Amino acid sequence: MKIDGACHCGDLTYEAELNLEQVLVCHCTDCQAMSATAFRVVARSKPDTLTLLTGNPSTYSKIGTSGAERVLSFCPRCGTNVFSTTAGDGPKVHSIRTGSIRQRAELVPVAQMWTRSGQPWVDSLSSIPKLEEAYGPPGGITTYDR
Amino acid sequence: MKVDGGCHCGHLTYEAEIDESIVTVCHCTDCQNLAGTPFRVTAHSFEGSFTLLTGKPKEYVKTGGSGNPRIQAFCAECGSQIYSTSVGEGPKVYNLRVGTIRQRDSLVPTRQIWARSAHHWIDNLSSVPMYQEGPPQPR
Ligand SMILES: [Zn+2]
Ligand SMILES: [Zn+2]
Ligand SMILES: [Zn+2]
Ligand SMILES: [Zn+2]
Repeated sequence: MKIDGACHCGDLTYEAELNLEQVLVCHCTDCQAMSATAFRVVARSKPDTLTLLTGNPSTYSKIGTSGAERVLSFCPRCGTNVFSTTAGDGPKVHSIRTGSIRQRAELVPVAQMWTRSGQPWVDSLSSIPKLEEAYGPPGGITTYDR
Repeated sequence: MKVDGGCHCGHLTYEAEIDESIVTVCHCTDCQNLAGTPFRVTAHSFEGSFTLLTGKPKEYVKTGGSGNPRIQAFCAECGSQIYSTSVGEGPKVYNLRVGTIRQRDSLVPTRQIWARSAHHWIDNLSSVPMYQEGPPQPR
């Protein structure tokens, strides 16, 4: 599937061809810390199909559990996490952070990884009260903003 | 509840006092885009209780649905997003991104907002096959 995406401020834009068999939820603690939320969803590109159309991402290298180096890209201006890939030469598969993909609503995860560090409440999200938009909560925080 | 946390690379560290009775899942499209994920989870600090211990975050100002400008802070080294807060002077409430809070395992969301833009599969996560670790592929 052909997709395109962007960071929040619009500096970074890209397009890629996705492998829809590889839309994955990752509950690992690195994804929790870096996306700063409960889990990350990544869609993996077909090799060498990701093209950066505009912008120049910042990169951060981390060593995965496998021992392999991963290069993670984000926007230096707005901080949006866009994708990760391998270090070095060779064909590149990009793990694209689905939140930056314009067509993200069409992507359904096929598997969940690292569930041993998953947050215990994620399977019962439907039991947590829902609001269609936002509201001013009790307890002194009078206006809630994202 | 007293919490502490930091970004992935360790450059930014902070401590704060949060109200654990309000932990918010936000499905808004800004949270999806900025975090790169389906939703963001946020814990709210008590006014004036947030202290940055080390590092200096990069700030990005966006205009919220309310029309108010909001500071979104992240680490310029590793890209971890740590909080949002209001613009201007005075004691502030910080919306801490729970993935950066060391005690995050003990925080349970109490409400979900902007559910109208939530991903349709999000309530059925338990039906998506689970692997304790791998599958053996890079993340
Ligand atoms: Zn940007
Ligand atoms: Zn992960
Ligand atoms: Zn950092
Ligand atoms: Zn939001």
